[in-house]
Amino acid sequence: MIVVFFIFLVSSYLLFNAIPGNAFSNLLLNPNLPPDAYEKVLQTYGLDKPLFERVQLYVVNFFKGDFGYSYKYYPQTPIELIAERLPRTLMLFSVVNIISFYTGFFVGKVLAWRRGTKSETWITVTSVFSYTVFYPWFALMMLWFFGYKLGWFPIGKFLYPEKWYDAPFDSDIIFAMMIKFVVVISILQFIAYTVSRGIEALSIRRNIRFTSLVLIFIGSYFYWNTGEALARKPYAADIAYHMILPVLVVTIVAFAGTALLTRTTMMEVLKEDYILTARAKGISQKRIRDRHAARTALLPVVTSFIFTIVTIIDGSVLTEQIFSWPGMGQLLLQSVLNEDIPVAMAAFSFVGVFALLAHLIADISYSYLDPRIRIKSQG
Amino acid sequence: MTKDILVVDNLNMHYETLEGNVMAVNNVTFTVKEGESFGLVGESGCGKSSVASTLLQLQSENAIISSGSIKLDNQELVGMSESDLRKVRWNDISIVFQGAMNAWNPVIKIGEQIREAIREHHPNNTKKENTEKISELFKIVGLDDSIMDRYPHELSGGMKQRAIISLALSCDPKIVIADEPTTALDVVIQDQILNEIKKVQKLLGLSLIYISHDIAVIAEMTDNMAVMYAGSIVEKGPTASIFSNPRHAYTKLLLESTPSVVGEKKKLRALDGEPPSLINGLKGCSFSPRCPDPTDACKKGSLEMKLIEIESAHWADQCCVNCG
Ligand SMILES: Nc1ncnc2c1ncn2[C@@H]1O[C@H](COP(=O)(O)OP(=O)(O)O)[C@@H](O)[C@H]1O
Ligand code: SF4
Ligand SMILES: [Mg+2]
Repeated sequence: MIVVFFIFLVSSYLLFNAIPGNAFSNLLLNPNLPPDAYEKVLQTYGLDKPLFERVQLYVVNFFKGDFGYSYKYYPQTPIELIAERLPRTLMLFSVVNIISFYTGFFVGKVLAWRRGTKSETWITVTSVFSYTVFYPWFALMMLWFFGYKLGWFPIGKFLYPEKWYDAPFDSDIIFAMMIKFVVVISILQFIAYTVSRGIEALSIRRNIRFTSLVLIFIGSYFYWNTGEALARKPYAADIAYHMILPVLVVTIVAFAGTALLTRTTMMEVLKEDYILTARAKGISQKRIRDRHAARTALLPVVTSFIFTIVTIIDGSVLTEQIFSWPGMGQLLLQSVLNEDIPVAMAAFSFVGVFALLAHLIADISYSYLDPRIRIKSQG
Repeated sequence: MTKDILVVDNLNMHYETLEGNVMAVNNVTFTVKEGESFGLVGESGCGKSSVASTLLQLQSENAIISSGSIKLDNQELVGMSESDLRKVRWNDISIVFQGAMNAWNPVIKIGEQIREAIREHHPNNTKKENTEKISELFKIVGLDDSIMDRYPHELSGGMKQRAIISLALSCDPKIVIADEPTTALDVVIQDQILNEIKKVQKLLGLSLIYISHDIAVIAEMTDNMAVMYAGSIVEKGPTASIFSNPRHAYTKLLLESTPSVVGEKKKLRALDGEPPSLINGLKGCSFSPRCPDPTDACKKGSLEMKLIEIESAHWADQCCVNCG
């Protein structure tokens, strides 16, 4: 893992270094550069040193968290810029990932269960379409249709500036708050789920889960209608509103792969002997589907989903550009276009860290899901 | 007089395939009494598993039951609604499927998979009650309680099979079907499992249908038995009576081709040829193409297959009784 990351760092440095005209030294030729900045740039990047030493310096600086300064927004550092953009990207893409995974998995599950019916054929055809469709075209079409034709969703703006003009908070505070809110809710529901697992009677178990869901709803209603959160509510709502279309579009594109794969693996699993045994036990079809078939079919789906996550992250450059979402992807694109090398490199590295983290999380959840692997990794 | 637990009457079932209908179960009639062990024997492909899955109404989707009845403790199962069947399954009739090694879901703990069955049929049990029940069953089949928290892949073949037996017993069914429960195991373990099943059957007074292609095992395990050939029962009766006085040519050959059953050293007669294809059914005696000495009447296929009682409770196919 660390080795992979190291290789990633070095090669990304070399790539940037290979930009025609060498962006690093180009900068030094810029006559508008203040002299103290000139010194700083020279020092941070060791531009007067040979290549090998420069790479070394870069890697060391990376781990120190020192990326130098933005050329364009001097004296802001890349870290500061990223800190501003990262929550937005995180918010958008964690929501997209979760929604697309669940819808994909659910749709695939139902498809496999209903094989041979008309609805199965239609949904499968639709999924194949959205799986293979050319993404930028599709996104623009959606934007045109919902944003321009129907006028349901905003175009070309990340937030309504009128609203935020005299806002007492920074949008990032709201973002952080929304992320926290979502995380807390997930944890609560997870706790309710885990606790109720120990209860033997299925009806009581179901009731507990349902009640906890209702309680969480009531709880969040109160949360958003009291104190600090109440004041922030309209702003949060504005953010949520602006998220709908991008989330919808990316989900439509991303869920299909998961759905189709789930369908295939489910159909395989349904042929297994333990499914027949489960039926012989008198267990209901729905429970067999959800607990026996879907649970096992989940494994390959999770594996492939890791790769989807990575493509979604890569695709963030495109998505954010199309939907005017000022996140990491846009930052990356703009900084490259502006030849703002330190920012570009920092953003690039962060996307790399993201991808690696996604892999790590997927690995961990995979070994949690598959007891056969769990044992191996322990022993 | 002991009660009839399972009465199968004139059951006919076929599979619809692209090549035609596979007549897997033809006019099958038999009765299993309370507390008895009933054997079903025949070469592989003769329709034993088809009978077994039909008894639970779990036949594959392309299977059609064209006629017949299955009465489990006076309840008709053929045509019963799925929701009613769900209550009957495992609670009244349970099964150890052929290749039962794969009957465990690889990602769920053994204990939970047994508990799941009990929970379905006894929804008001507490967790403790269910655990005690499983522990009690584990004791009978010789498993340690710690197995409950294991995943299937952590168990040896024999252990899995023992656990399957306790799974089959978990809801105190009226009858248990064991379809070749030892096939995938190595010989030593096979023996252990056989003894285990026999012990459990005696101990609990279980009604059992034991299915095997090995007539020697049937001899050891059962009180009454039926011999199946090409989807039909060709001979049935008390195991002892069939072994001492086999009447159908197929049964005779089956006995002679099995070394351990007949005591004295006889020259083994090999069972030549393949069982016939069951597609689109057969006319006359289904065994005639492989029969060592068919009569003219057999060859013409003029006599219908039909079981007749030759001595008390011992039935055999009429044509064979008449010519052999
Ligand atoms: N789902 C099915 N579709 C078509 N034919 C089947 C199906 N299941 C079994 N058969 C056929 O039915 C016959 C009986 O099979 P089976 O009951 O498994 O025999 P046994 O258990 O005695 O080996 C075989 O010829 C087999 O090929
Ligand atoms: S009826 Fe005739 S052909 Fe059929 S098994 Fe008996 S002797 Fe052989
Ligand atoms: Mg079989």
